[in-house]
Amino acid sequence: MDILITGVGGQGTILASKILAYAYVIEGRNARTGETIGMSQRGGCVVSHVRAGNAHSPYIPVGGADLLLSFELCEGARRISYLKKDGFAIVNTASIIPVSTALGMADYDAEKITKYISENSNAIFIDADKLARECGSFRAVNTVLIGAACGLGVLGLSKDSIVQSIKKNIKAKYLDLNIKAFHSGMKTTEEMKEKCKVI
Amino acid sequence: MFAEHICLTANEKINDITRRVNDLKEILLGNTAIALGAVTAGVRVAAGYPGTPSTEVLEGVAKYNTDGKISVEWSTNEKAALEVAAGASWSGVRAIVTMKQVGLNVASDPLMSLGVIGTKGGMVIVVADDPGPISSQTEQDTRHFGKFANIPVLDPSSPEEAYEMTKYAFELSEKLHLPIILRPTTKVCHSSGTIEVDTEVYQYEPEGFVKDPKWVIFPPLSYRRHLEIEQQQKEISALFSQLPFNRIEGNGRIGIATGGATYAVVRDIVESCELDVTILKSGAVFPPPDQLYGEFLQRVEKVLVLEELDPVIEEQLYHIMAVRKIEKPIRGKLDGFVSPAGELRFENTLKIIEKFIGRKLKSVENESGMVFPQRPPVLCAGCPHRASFYAVKKAMRGKKSVFCGDIGCYTLGNGKPLEMTDTCLCMGAGITVAQGIKKAEPDTNVFAFIGDSTFFASGMTGLANAVYNGTKINVIVLDNSTTAMTGHQPHPGIGRTMMNTSSPKIDIFSVAKSLGAEFVEKVNPFEFDLAVKTVREASEKKGVSVVIFEAPCAALVKPDNVCAVEDCTGCKKCIREIGCPALTVRDRKVEINRALCNGCGLCTNVCDRIIRL
Repeated sequence: MDILITGVGGQGTILASKILAYAYVIEGRNARTGETIGMSQRGGCVVSHVRAGNAHSPYIPVGGADLLLSFELCEGARRISYLKKDGFAIVNTASIIPVSTALGMADYDAEKITKYISENSNAIFIDADKLARECGSFRAVNTVLIGAACGLGVLGLSKDSIVQSIKKNIKAKYLDLNIKAFHSGMKTTEEMKEKCKVI
Repeated sequence: MFAEHICLTANEKINDITRRVNDLKEILLGNTAIALGAVTAGVRVAAGYPGTPSTEVLEGVAKYNTDGKISVEWSTNEKAALEVAAGASWSGVRAIVTMKQVGLNVASDPLMSLGVIGTKGGMVIVVADDPGPISSQTEQDTRHFGKFANIPVLDPSSPEEAYEMTKYAFELSEKLHLPIILRPTTKVCHSSGTIEVDTEVYQYEPEGFVKDPKWVIFPPLSYRRHLEIEQQQKEISALFSQLPFNRIEGNGRIGIATGGATYAVVRDIVESCELDVTILKSGAVFPPPDQLYGEFLQRVEKVLVLEELDPVIEEQLYHIMAVRKIEKPIRGKLDGFVSPAGELRFENTLKIIEKFIGRKLKSVENESGMVFPQRPPVLCAGCPHRASFYAVKKAMRGKKSVFCGDIGCYTLGNGKPLEMTDTCLCMGAGITVAQGIKKAEPDTNVFAFIGDSTFFASGMTGLANAVYNGTKINVIVLDNSTTAMTGHQPHPGIGRTMMNTSSPKIDIFSVAKSLGAEFVEKVNPFEFDLAVKTVREASEKKGVSVVIFEAPCAALVKPDNVCAVEDCTGCKKCIREIGCPALTVRDRKVEINRALCNGCGLCTNVCDRIIRL
């Protein structure tokens, strides 16, 4: 199981990869992750790779991911080639406009980007920022998206293992909020699944 | 005899065990695994200087130092750290020192001598290399330093192996009386693996420092030691041929020689494409395991060498071929078959292997034609460096000026629209490069920007040089009370150590004064008009000037208000002037992203229509 998590520095992708990797360990599997830490953090693109099973190297090859978990619209599109043909993408519709666009050096056309993702993958779009804010903080985007992946039933993990991992990796102070966010994400994709029979 | 002895102890279970660390399988970052390995091995003194991708090693040691028995410190720079660790080792305790690859350049003076004098308590020098480079100035290869200083080098391929190697490195160091370099690369440092952690910590009673002429480096001692060390290299090479970190896997006629993190990539390709090859895995890479290399070369018809950074294993193989009169075709970096620069990832490594064996193995989809907006790293919203750069820019507008930069977040000052970093060489070089430019171009206003942590690491000697040699430069210290770029480590100017104890606060203002700078002034860069005025004044002084811009890192303070735009005319001057990431455009008008805005108010100095809420 290979999951690529993508977003912008500061969105909490590393914590999401840790939660997922540890959930696999709870279920008795080996897991490894590969992270972007350093220069790329300061508002740059970040990518985390989560690999459960017997892979040796931390990075998922292009065309190898079972799931793309995208924290930001354009970042999802940027990494769509990492998905397997039958892989799924869960994409946060929220946009973070880069300074290069504000300076007029590049276009950020959300409509075009959304179309591109839809045409090139089995994608589900959710407004994770909104769901996170409803649960109490925009910082809970990571647990909303993990919940969405769980609700879609593509992780090969039980809900209990994920909740246990969230409890281990998130400070007690923020736990309730994040558990709520996890359930909110889960409910969203469960309902979508019901409606569209995507899987 | 010597080699056998070491093999035995390497595989021995540690007996003297009493303390529990953890009893779970853990997902650990490579750097954290190294830290836990060191703690399990009974490390008592740990020192380092932050630098990506090495920083989390020392932070990990501090985290696992639950009973406070380990002395852990961020030293002022890598040279200081390595010397602290050497002193501890000479007193019989196990010591670890951590840095990134360019840090070892700073610490190379003690390193070279320590390779001659040797050690007593196990000493491990963790030096993280950064193929790519991803967040470094150079793509230098620390394995060369092993050869240069006659110090053994271990090169882990995964966080799991890094954990095992760290524990072993302390034993090896004590057997050889030499420091050991552990050289992880970014793919190991910043990836995590599933690690079965030891439950107990190695216990020992250190002998203490015993006075002996062997700790005083003198020419006759160096000569004698040089003879001994060269002899020792042969014994270590024999040992390394037996070590499980070095091994031959598979039986194919095609040979792939690899090491470090690239081994993991090669294994993934070999397994997923079911290739019949023989892999030479080099983990203890210097001194080279001659016997094992010879055996590998005998078994295969041709060899592809896959390694990141320099062709170290490749050159070692050529050497063995020459010595043992073996002739096998080798493809690698030396003949241009593999690119000399950059990372080896699955995709490009697969292509190299396909080219080597002459057939296609897998189809990797090409990237699409769609072009996405670039997202280069930028100074955060509310970053005081943006205000400092903008103040200097405004003060010097229209005057012939050069702005020398340094290493830290503020290197990002080179980006649009600030464009306030004209040079960057290495830690502390901004101040001294500025002096050279001033000497060559006396009519230019030359500025040197340096962060607070960098100032202590290697800025002070440069400032003394400017004062001593009478070179008029303007030093701007960007004092945000932390080492921000590497994740907010404390430094000597803060009054707090990494173990959160209080310490004397070394005041940059007083240091600059006592070093003899003519003009020294402290100012908050967000008091923008005063900041601009102070810079002008500093530049007009005849002697060396130092302006200390004091304001805490934006990532460490919570905003108490945010800014907003009222009746924006859409001129976008605010974005063109300061390029804050919180300033975005919607329907041709500037909006402030409240989730990002830090309320610093710098933009209110650019446009009257922006107000603080």
